[in-house]
Amino acid sequence: MARASSTQRLEPLRHVDAGALNVAYYETGPANGPVAVLLHGFPYDIHSYVDVAPMLASQGCRVIVPYLRGYGPTRFRDAATRRSGEQAAMGADLMALMDALQIQRAVFAGYDWGGRAACIGAALWPERCIGLISANSYLIQDIARAMRPAPAIHEVPLWYQYYFQIERGRSGLAANRRDIAKILWQQWSPNWAFDDACFERTALAHDNPDYVDVVIHSYRHRFGLAEGDPQYADIQRKLAALPPVTVPAITLDGAGDGVVPATDGKASAAKFTGRRTHHVIPRAGHNLPQEEPEAFAAAVMELIKA
Amino acid sequence: MRDAVDKRRRLLLGAALSGMTAIDAGLHARAYAQAKVPAAARASSLRRLEPLRHVETEILNIACFEEGPATGPAVILLHGFPYDIHTYADVAAILAVKGCRAIVPYLRGYGETRFRDMATPRSGEQAALGADVIALMDALHIGRAVFAGHNWGGRAATVAAALWPDRCAGLVTVNSYLIQDLSRAMMPGPPENEEAMWYEYYFQLERGRAGLAANRRKIARMLWEEWSPDWDFDDATFDRSAAALDNPDFVDVAIHSYRHRFGNADGDPRYAELAKRLAAMPPITVPAATLDGDSDGVVAAGDGSASAAKFTARRIHRVVKGAGHNVPQEAPEAFAAAVTELVKV
Repeated sequence: MARASSTQRLEPLRHVDAGALNVAYYETGPANGPVAVLLHGFPYDIHSYVDVAPMLASQGCRVIVPYLRGYGPTRFRDAATRRSGEQAAMGADLMALMDALQIQRAVFAGYDWGGRAACIGAALWPERCIGLISANSYLIQDIARAMRPAPAIHEVPLWYQYYFQIERGRSGLAANRRDIAKILWQQWSPNWAFDDACFERTALAHDNPDYVDVVIHSYRHRFGLAEGDPQYADIQRKLAALPPVTVPAITLDGAGDGVVPATDGKASAAKFTGRRTHHVIPRAGHNLPQEEPEAFAAAVMELIKA
Repeated sequence: MRDAVDKRRRLLLGAALSGMTAIDAGLHARAYAQAKVPAAARASSLRRLEPLRHVETEILNIACFEEGPATGPAVILLHGFPYDIHTYADVAAILAVKGCRAIVPYLRGYGETRFRDMATPRSGEQAALGADVIALMDALHIGRAVFAGHNWGGRAATVAAALWPDRCAGLVTVNSYLIQDLSRAMMPGPPENEEAMWYEYYFQLERGRAGLAANRRKIARMLWEEWSPDWDFDDATFDRSAAALDNPDFVDVAIHSYRHRFGNADGDPRYAELAKRLAAMPPITVPAATLDGDSDGVVAAGDGSASAAKFTARRIHRVVKGAGHNVPQEAPEAFAAAVTELVKV
């Protein structure tokens, strides 16, 4: 029943100045509850958590669901700020949001770009993190090794990343952002029968004026082919060491993930020095919180209750 | 991934079936009749094209297979990426029986073809491929020939026909006019088509170069399967061709080819003059036959009308039913028939 992701919108939104951004976010649940920050991926938006958010709220959590930089009504505060999509920026945005909302500690939960932001927040600011939920385990990018090829069969699903390296890909994303997003949704979640209304609700977030710049920079930076914003250089230097996650963690893989194959979690075991459990969710694809909200919400609650 | 490929095929089929004129429909019906060949003919033979002869040009030592009477009308059969001369294993035999002199060279970077000088840039640009055809003909003292090819080989054939029409008795290509318009290389295509070109974008990065070097067979096999979804080739057929990709220049030539077409690699100055002429997208003034495979998984079959203005002499276009991208190997009778029609003219 919950699999048919509801068609409601996460509204009303709130807006807060936080670091480089004015962040648009959805909040639900008791203001004095334990906090969970739910972070979406590319090419998705906050509605990945349309079912997870009320589940957590009904169990007493204060739930914060921000639009990442480049998505939805989130805006850069300064026209001159670089539209960086690098991993360090995503982590810094998370901390800036926590500070702006005067939240001391929270569970960081995410997948894809949002999972990376959560991993970075957990690794570099463990004192701010109650625990980490990450789909696809440890997501901090090892840019020094980005030019090592993967098995050929795993390179094919990354077609969009390679496409985005050239200006043709930037133009293509600008002109065809919806068609590209839909192809990726279908490839990454082959068992998820989302409908047009569900897709459209999220695709609106990609009309953000900074979307193309942030996305293109993100995919170029991770291959070492675009420079980072100097304001994040210190953070990126720390990330280059691939710091461990020391807080309690639950990692989830979708057995039907069409872009990052499900694993048994062992390859990343050394990166989790605190308590960590790994689950493979049957049938689920890459957009795990929207496809399997109970499993995702249960993982968050497990960390909050621990 | 399978789903995406299937979707792409449906899209391509839709494109092929829409917008056909009455004349094209007639051609289509004719192609359909041709496609009703015995299934046995579609199961490509496993013979090796041997022995090879080796021909020195200014730049290359070209390994090529020759079949048919030395006095017959010459046909140069040009293979593509990531294939080799065995694309023509059956076509060459059919043409030889019909009295043609069939010459099947390994392109630069493939099989036993070698660069003569270590210092020569391993260019894969279109001008180089066209120039190699003419250099081969010069070395063999062949005045005129039919140029026939698919993929890179179709491009080589198109380039040579456009720039040296006096050397060309006729042109047969798969996917029509193949000279690249580098000035428009940065204009995006429909996302489904862009996805099919994943390998071209992959090759823009050093990761792609390393990946091609390490996994050339796996990449080639995936492309064969994506591009010819209805072609049930076996391991022996694939391995026979894949051996040609172990050429020491294969990776350099392939990477340069895919970077140059997007303006991300400089051309060899030796070909600058030819490249300048190709930038004008010169027409084909010799008789031409163009073929599309209606299940081609990388270049959508069409009715030929989009490229009509590029063919100023007689040109026929056919859609070959059941064929994918490797039309000569998948539908050798249809390909050979297109060649012999031009030879007779």
